Amino acid sequence: MADQNKTSAKVEFGNELLNPSELFEARTRSHKIPVRGQTDFIPTGSDQQRDRLLQSLDEHWNLVSEERVERLGNLVKAVWIPSDMIVELQSPAGKFWQTMGFSAHGKQCLHPEEALYLMECGNLQVFYQDLPLSIQEGYERFLYSKTMSIQHYQVFGHLKRLGYVVNRFDPSSVPSQYERQLNLPQSRDRSGRLPKRKRSHSPTSRHTGTQEGPTSKRMEEEKDCNREEEDKNLDSLPDLSAPDIDKIQTASHAASTTSTEGGQSRSWWSKEGSPDSDPELTGQPQSSPRWDFSSIPFPDLGSRRWLPSSLTSPDPCLLPGAVGSVGACDVAPWLQRLNLREVRMSRHEWERERDRYRRDINQDREVRRCRNWAEYQELQERRIQRSRRDRPAHLWKGPVTPLHDPAQVTSTGELLDKISVIKSTRLLEGASSLKGSEEWRICFNIYQPVTVAEFKKSAPGKPYSRMCVCSFDGPVLDLWTLKLLAFQSGDIPVTYAVVDHGDISFYSFKDFQIPTDVSF
Amino acid sequence: MDSPEPKRTVSREDASKESMAISRQVIGINFCGPTPLMWRADELKSARELGIIGTLVGSLARQPRQNTRLGRPLELLPEEGRLLADMGRAAVIPDSTNEDPEVNPEQVQQYHAGMENSFQEQGAMALEDRKTTLLRVMTAKHNEDSGSQEDSNGAVRDRLEALDHGFSFPRTAMAVQLCTARAGLSHCPEVRRLLATDWPIPRDERSETRFRVFRDLRRQGFYLTSAGKFGGDYLVYPGDPLRFHAYFIVVCISMDESMPLCDVLAIARLGSNVKKTVLLCSSGESQEDDGEEVVYTSLQWSGMV
Repeated sequence: MADQNKTSAKVEFGNELLNPSELFEARTRSHKIPVRGQTDFIPTGSDQQRDRLLQSLDEHWNLVSEERVERLGNLVKAVWIPSDMIVELQSPAGKFWQTMGFSAHGKQCLHPEEALYLMECGNLQVFYQDLPLSIQEGYERFLYSKTMSIQHYQVFGHLKRLGYVVNRFDPSSVPSQYERQLNLPQSRDRSGRLPKRKRSHSPTSRHTGTQEGPTSKRMEEEKDCNREEEDKNLDSLPDLSAPDIDKIQTASHAASTTSTEGGQSRSWWSKEGSPDSDPELTGQPQSSPRWDFSSIPFPDLGSRRWLPSSLTSPDPCLLPGAVGSVGACDVAPWLQRLNLREVRMSRHEWERERDRYRRDINQDREVRRCRNWAEYQELQERRIQRSRRDRPAHLWKGPVTPLHDPAQVTSTGELLDKISVIKSTRLLEGASSLKGSEEWRICFNIYQPVTVAEFKKSAPGKPYSRMCVCSFDGPVLDLWTLKLLAFQSGDIPVTYAVVDHGDISFYSFKDFQIPTDVSF
Repeated sequence: MDSPEPKRTVSREDASKESMAISRQVIGINFCGPTPLMWRADELKSARELGIIGTLVGSLARQPRQNTRLGRPLELLPEEGRLLADMGRAAVIPDSTNEDPEVNPEQVQQYHAGMENSFQEQGAMALEDRKTTLLRVMTAKHNEDSGSQEDSNGAVRDRLEALDHGFSFPRTAMAVQLCTARAGLSHCPEVRRLLATDWPIPRDERSETRFRVFRDLRRQGFYLTSAGKFGGDYLVYPGDPLRFHAYFIVVCISMDESMPLCDVLAIARLGSNVKKTVLLCSSGESQEDDGEEVVYTSLQWSGMV
């Protein structure tokens, strides 16, 4: 068929609606785009230049004014639902369903930007109030919100036209760092709870009945260890024989049963059970601890002043119920296990010890030698000078002091760090503590262009990158935002698409370390 | 013989009338959020004749899945829209998406009637097309065979009759237009003049400076487009950007503020790398009069000769 768009044909602009004969003829339209010619540098006003310009312009208007004409059988019908801001398909989806769209209450649906893109490609016809929407109406109705403005759509369309698979970013779909460490299998459906780790039956695991997340487990284990030690103290007192791991285990289990029976949640931080420190022990009523530690005597077997030969029998109410009453405890075998030898210290150390713990200034010999207040002050001065021999006053007394004291031991790396003006930081350093922002957010996940058969919407895998859309008119990207978005994105790099009146530039930031010629 | 082509030749008189009509019409600008857009091809042409280039941001109808050449809508710089409005050549069409509450049965009926009519006409044309092809093929075949005229005419007549009876044009084969611009009353010039609202004027100094610079350069005959990727405000062309390279990168700065030297160096370096002259532009006193000046300073990297 001959190319119908000759450059000499004048284009009629008046009416943009095509009549049936035009529609019919449009089936055999050419699909080629003419190549742009070379541009000149200086306008010469010559006829040749003018003619070339007119020819370029004619070509341009021919392309721009062309309307989309599609075979009705190739169009998928859909309806715009403004209340939900989605487009619902009314005839079965075509090839685009492999990478776009989602199912909602039994129907195939599209997001507004996906629907608009398909309208522009001539694959979809969207109806609203029983009339088909034009592309203009699509832009004005679908791109109304802040989540999907015209700038977002321009980036979306640009990437889709290049072949990438683009879908909306969902912050909850990013696995947390802990989950990545555990290497949990990723499933798209996040509504079900993650499988719980089975608690092993070890001395440290006490509360097998409670449900808690991984982070609180650690805190609880710590608490359990502390509690176990405390129980050991109580339980080992009445034991006459050598301590046995099994005995302790059974004893501690017995203790745990009594404590759980009693419904205790002992808070380690205060005597009264404070509800804040035990968030994960749900289902156990909070009450004050059973023991009043201030009235229970805990013998100090390491003290040198008082060495009892035996310990009296403890109050039966302090002991687990099954044990009953026990006799006095002979201390001697226990003392053998303790190191009661005196520490040999040099005179200097002895004096320092003495001074540290029992500082009586009048016992200081040098102070005794001072006859008046002035001499005492001189003594103080001398002492300070002695300790600061290396710090001359003219350097250290003023408002500006040296950056580093030569007497202090340090490494070259630390010194370099001190003299650096800008501290380097890695992208994810300190990023977990940053709060979300209203204006900066990740909009899209981008997947590389692959064959249609390989991409699965239910298990798309890791995206190639995530996109954040901004513009040169808006606020400038700062380190805080970079860190925030890098953290939100997990281990996928973030690309920034800057839209400037139809022109899009892409920027991305990568971590790298400036090599330093020093071994730390 | 080729299939019939619609002849689009227009007489000289019609062409000039048409261009006059185009030049007198008021261009409609529709906002999509804060972004001014133009949708109709004839208005794009009018705007370009006034020196307003804009940027095409939509998919091209002919080949939607590529990025080298885009199609409508045309996105305007805020300065471009404001200049058109100030010249009285454009009007902002208010957004009517929230107004229509329910289905308009008359319009729906019109739409369906139009579709049915189109279907019938296209069916007839398809039949004609088939007949013509058949005739052509059969005539060519008979010319080769050199059989008797009587037999061949009879055969052709039989085949044509069979086609008349047996031909069916399915609904799915019908060609349908997906309109780019919104059809409707707002394109009637009188209605448009009534509907038009004022251009939203921003209140900050930077937008005002940018606008003054834009207006001044446009008045001098230059064509301007946006230059974000060159680190400036506008790219200045001596003629239509389709045919010429840009001469200048315009950076609009305030008359009173001092510019740090490293910024000057950065922009000068950039200009020399892309072989364009950098123009630092500031506007004079912020009064309403036309006579206020725009001051230009050009930066060019030169060596010590």
